[in-house]
Amino acid sequence: MLKVENVKKAFGGTIVLDGVNLTVNPGEVVSILGSSGSGKSTLIRCINGLEKLNAGRITVDDFDVSKPKELAEARKRSGTVFQLFNLYPHMSALQNITLAPIEVLKRPKAEAEAEGRALLASVGLGDRADAYPAQLSGGQRQRVGICRALAMQPRYLLLDEVTSALDPEMTSEVLDILAKLAKSGTTMVFVTHEIEFARQISNRIVFLEKGVLLVDLPTAEFFSAEGGLAQPRVAQFLSKMRKD
Amino acid sequence: MRLDLTILAPHLGFLAEGALLTAQVCALALIGSVVLGMLVAIARTSQRKWLNRLAFAYVDLFRNVPFIVQLFFFYYGLPEIGIYIDAFTTGVVALSISGGAYASDAIRAGILAIDDGIIEAAEVSGLSQGTTFTRIVLPIALRTSIRPLGSVLINMILTSSILSTITLNELTGNAKIVASDTFRPFEVYVVLLVVYASLTYLVSLGITLLHRWLNRDMQEQVN
Amino acid sequence: MRYTEFTPFDLWLLAQGLGVTVGLFLVTSLIGVAIGVLWGVVRFYRVPVLMQVITFVAEVLKNSPVLVQLFLVFFGFPAFFKLNMTPVNAAIITLSLNTAAFVYVIAVSSIESIGRDQVEAARVFGLSRWQVLRHVIAPQAMAFSIGPLTALLVNQLQVTSLISVIGVMDLSKIGANLNLRTLKPFIVWTAVGILYYLAAKLVATLGAKLEKRLRAHSAFRGL
Ligand SMILES: Nc1ncnc2c1ncn2[C@@H]1O[C@H](COP(=O)(O)OP(=O)(O)O)[C@@H](O)[C@H]1O
Ligand SMILES: [Mg+2]
Repeated sequence: MLKVENVKKAFGGTIVLDGVNLTVNPGEVVSILGSSGSGKSTLIRCINGLEKLNAGRITVDDFDVSKPKELAEARKRSGTVFQLFNLYPHMSALQNITLAPIEVLKRPKAEAEAEGRALLASVGLGDRADAYPAQLSGGQRQRVGICRALAMQPRYLLLDEVTSALDPEMTSEVLDILAKLAKSGTTMVFVTHEIEFARQISNRIVFLEKGVLLVDLPTAEFFSAEGGLAQPRVAQFLSKMRKD
Repeated sequence: MRLDLTILAPHLGFLAEGALLTAQVCALALIGSVVLGMLVAIARTSQRKWLNRLAFAYVDLFRNVPFIVQLFFFYYGLPEIGIYIDAFTTGVVALSISGGAYASDAIRAGILAIDDGIIEAAEVSGLSQGTTFTRIVLPIALRTSIRPLGSVLINMILTSSILSTITLNELTGNAKIVASDTFRPFEVYVVLLVVYASLTYLVSLGITLLHRWLNRDMQEQVN
Repeated sequence: MRYTEFTPFDLWLLAQGLGVTVGLFLVTSLIGVAIGVLWGVVRFYRVPVLMQVITFVAEVLKNSPVLVQLFLVFFGFPAFFKLNMTPVNAAIITLSLNTAAFVYVIAVSSIESIGRDQVEAARVFGLSRWQVLRHVIAPQAMAFSIGPLTALLVNQLQVTSLISVIGVMDLSKIGANLNLRTLKPFIVWTAVGILYYLAAKLVATLGAKLEKRLRAHSAFRGL
């Protein structure tokens, strides 16, 4: 279980997360919606330990990310996919994927590479293992980014607007893969602006507004008139996003 | 007043010997200054304040004191404290230390230019700071700082001529001997200027090629 | 010279050496900047042949050791042209030209930093090429170049130390003499190093101040 309890985070004087509570159970896909600047990325960065909490607690399978001794374990259980890919530019696709398994999990190189190649094949990049990030399209880069996270066999996959930097065609390349992952039972925390897609794959949808989790509902309820849409901010947000 | 370069012909072998020594000194000092530059760049980007200050002091000092003063400090000073090393070693050490100050700036700039996101990706995947540094930060920084490091090398080749003042018979040292043997200093030094200029030109060509080759995978490829 | 302890008079010697260093630095910097800017203007007017000659000479001066340039002027010129050359004259000629080569590069890039459209716009208004240079380019280029120029001069101050090799009684030569006489290399070269360091810092500080002023000035005029 991934638990976010009453988390507060401020940068200088500005409060970015103001008492956020969220629980993600194994096997669930939870989408996080919210307008830009609402604190979605910050929440993800708190979960993977890139930002320190000001108050509250985040545990990943009972490992507290705020405790230096437990952070490593917590991080082993989550994998992050970034908006701007953040691939290692001097390493091939395969090297990007196998670095952490070999260095952190101490997997034998041959095994790690075999698994890396299998992962690449599963996202349709079987023939691009030796390509460098600069030689790949955006969609291909992000697929490598997903493989890199999956190679650590995380219990929870954290995805922060992973298609925002991609054009529509590449976006669907990546979303297809995420849909497959969701179907196979991968647990995901999915920050996105792709509302329709979120609706298809999510078990639950939460809505973040100015650092506060306004709504946390099962997907069907979130889009129903008495459920999420009863919240004026959510209704506003959805109609604005649909227009765009 | 006739420029007669043929008088140099019998001395070409001797001059080549000097050039070889120059190449050896510079090659060793290049290694020394890149290693030193790397360590100092690490120190300058580290969180520890005292380490930071120490590294900055080193760079500041050796960039603001003439090389010949540094060289004499080592050459005359080291025997004083019981360290007897020959002119060749002294030259390599002095060039390494002074080159290291410049190399560290180049490498530091390369480190600072690395996208934070890349480091964060390494961090969340559980890589230790040490591994992140050796496998990601340093390889990227060295690739991007090849050009400025090339300038350090070119500067080093020019500076190595000063080693002739501590009796090291590198290219300039041997040229001095030829000049006084032949009584033709003008011819000797004109040729020497051209030789150095061509040498550094070749090195800079080499650097450009090396830069291209090392970054061949990091360049956008139109396909 | 007999080995003897330090005397208070040695301080006076060091001060004299520093005076010679600073004096020659100032003189050669002024001449060098003047020549370098002049070369830049020649290039601006695209004077045929002369422009190519200047570019070639500047390249050779930039890419060869100053020590060899000094030897050429001090030993080579008298032998070849049958003229008299004092160490101080050789120093002034060499350092000035060397500085000029680097100033030339700065001048060219400063002039190029000013957009062609600005120059063309001014020409359309009917300003002559000279007027454009004087009123449009010069003020902006000055503000642009003061940073690189300061860095260059800090470097050239250190380069002056090489003239000690041909016997000019500058700070380094005084250091060498004291070193021979007292056999206390650490103290001597540390003292000499500190003096150079302080002088370099002074040049850097003055340059930074001037840059701040010029930038404020040109920003104001830009309004
Ligand atoms: N490192 C930071 N320093 C200061 N402010 C930050 C920092 N990171 C994010 N913020 C601020 O926090 C708020 C939320 O940012 P973010 O979590 O990126 O929002 P979202 O991902 O929902 O668009 C924004 O107002 C942003 O400016
Ligand atoms: Mg965001």
